Amino acid sequence: MRLRRFRGKRPIAWLPVRTSRGRWLLVRLARAALAAWGIASLVFVVSRLLPGGPEQFALDGAGEKWGGASAGHVAQMQQAARQSFRHRLGLDEPIFYVTRSPAPAGWHWHGRHNQYHRWVVQLLHGGLGQSYRDGQPVGAALGRALAYTLPLTGSAAVLATGLALYLALYLAGAPGGRGRALVRTLLGGLQTMPLFLLALLLLLLLANPDGLNLVPAGQVPNAATSSLSQVLSYWGPRSLLPLLSLVLAVLPSLALPLAAALHHELGTDYATTARAKGLPISRILRRHALPNALIPLLTTLTELLPSLVAGTVVVEVVFALPGSGRLLAQAAATHDYPVVVAGVLLTALVRLLGLLLADVLYFTLDPRLRPLA
Amino acid sequence: MRALFKARRPVAYWLAISWLALIAGLGLLGPSLPLPYSSSTADLLAIATPPSAPHYLGTDALGRDVLAGLVAGARRLVSISLPATFLAAALGAVLGGAAGFWGNTRLRLPVAAAGGLLAAGWWALALPGQLLALLLALGSSLWLSLLLWQKTPRRQPTIALPVDSLVLGAGTLLGAVPRLIMLVALAAGPPFTTYQLLGLLVVVAWPEPARLVRAEMLRVRVQPFIEAAWASGLPPGRIWWHHALPAASQSLRSLVPLSLAGLIGLESSLAFLGIGQAPDAVSWGSLLAAARQEPSAWWVAAVPGLALLLTLLALQQVATAAKNR
Repeated sequence: MRLRRFRGKRPIAWLPVRTSRGRWLLVRLARAALAAWGIASLVFVVSRLLPGGPEQFALDGAGEKWGGASAGHVAQMQQAARQSFRHRLGLDEPIFYVTRSPAPAGWHWHGRHNQYHRWVVQLLHGGLGQSYRDGQPVGAALGRALAYTLPLTGSAAVLATGLALYLALYLAGAPGGRGRALVRTLLGGLQTMPLFLLALLLLLLLANPDGLNLVPAGQVPNAATSSLSQVLSYWGPRSLLPLLSLVLAVLPSLALPLAAALHHELGTDYATTARAKGLPISRILRRHALPNALIPLLTTLTELLPSLVAGTVVVEVVFALPGSGRLLAQAAATHDYPVVVAGVLLTALVRLLGLLLADVLYFTLDPRLRPLA
Repeated sequence: MRALFKARRPVAYWLAISWLALIAGLGLLGPSLPLPYSSSTADLLAIATPPSAPHYLGTDALGRDVLAGLVAGARRLVSISLPATFLAAALGAVLGGAAGFWGNTRLRLPVAAAGGLLAAGWWALALPGQLLALLLALGSSLWLSLLLWQKTPRRQPTIALPVDSLVLGAGTLLGAVPRLIMLVALAAGPPFTTYQLLGLLVVVAWPEPARLVRAEMLRVRVQPFIEAAWASGLPPGRIWWHHALPAASQSLRSLVPLSLAGLIGLESSLAFLGIGQAPDAVSWGSLLAAARQEPSAWWVAAVPGLALLLTLLALQQVATAAKNR
């Protein structure tokens, strides 16, 4: 590398070569956390700046109640109802620390009496606010929904990773063959297919009352009274297709890069040596090539968890599961901003978790990366 | 043109190109096609009828013509996803190219220009109505600073504009949540207009080309022909725009079809979820959502689903061909 065009006075101190890798990863995590907070704040402010707030939605059907009154009176009463609605939700306060108002024109400093400050303070105390729609705490609703979503995404992540390992080892096992070409083509096709199309296809093919129906009818079990086996026997078959669509949706992005990495590792000198010693190809793949090929895959794993969470939005709507994805979609459809912001925050946190997990795995798999201290 | 035909392409490539041309033609000519029904009006006498004479591809559970919906969806594709992809690629190339070329320290503006920028910003914050004047001030001060850059004597104080950090930071911020979640969250307000949806798609899509072009630019920047351009005394802006950026943008050729496929998938997902959509807007996604109301009407799901899948596969084929060239 030539240094002639390098004019900066400061040596590039933040590059990983200069500091220990551990500190660099910490910086990376901090940056991701900052981005998570930033994006949640952005969604918070933008959603409250949009015209036609929640009171519009809530009061749309309220006009009929005042059918007897004159038009002017109705408008006055609607205005009053809107005001009290906004006051109840705290929407009549300024949005941010500084806002710009038309009269008196210019920028105004509001101090701590603004919606954003309230939200941050509430968040630091562990509260996510209350839903506009039913007044319930958002945290509790999200917790109930996560009871369905966490098992779904967790098992999808584990299944997809396992299946991707198996498929990649199979694909890298031999150069050609009709079966491998078929698997490759199918994976390529799956990669382009949007998740909603895949889920809809599975729904219409496998859970169709007029055709093949894998999902038996049954009573929704009451969480308080029914036993664990009842709950499992009800939700087990119902989460089969969502699980399948999630796994199939993320499988190509895991399996294809891993297969390429394995193929690359097989061309290196140590793999040639291992073959010259007479080791079978399956053993070389598993014991020698796989550990090295897994390291670039960890970056993909970081994106696996957030993409699964995004997938639940689609899958839970298609298969009518009462999870956090459907909660988010419903909240977006009904202008329920606190739930929407909480969903964004949750997704960003999941991504942070994925980053953390990938970093821990990096250190476990590759001793060269461990910090010296 | 001759080079295009001389290159040996597989049959699949030409099939993909013809399918995409068909969809684009349907989308462009959509309003002037002699269709018997419009996409948004319901024929209540024919609810969920299988493909037959007046409704050539059948109707859905609300009595809307599937063929008309297919054409309306193609039109939406051509009018939203396609321009959004090209705008995002252009924006990403310019921002990523600037980030890779100048880095954090090399774009040094004279303090005078920075003062002008600050003043313009201040003025704009106080008077947002004067957007045109702001743009003029920004543009002229940038241009002036680029013009003066090489001629500034060493002594004159300059400040560095951290382009790289700004671009990467914006990309990180937008990448903090998946694109679908981001769009769903921002759609919580009133339904999007066409331009708002287009703008939002551009906003969520630009970091990907920007990252690619930035990486390419880091490689291109140290190539001998750029060194030669510096040595011949060309102004930096000219080197960047005329020599470095075209070379670094070559890699976008295989990314753009994939990026278009991604945006089509994203836009259809939003339409399928019915979030942020005007009630009468018809697209392939909303047609597919209607298929759930009447599971026995296979044609409502099969026609738009197949069209969507074929379009995405065709785009993948084109991207592969562009990469292997």
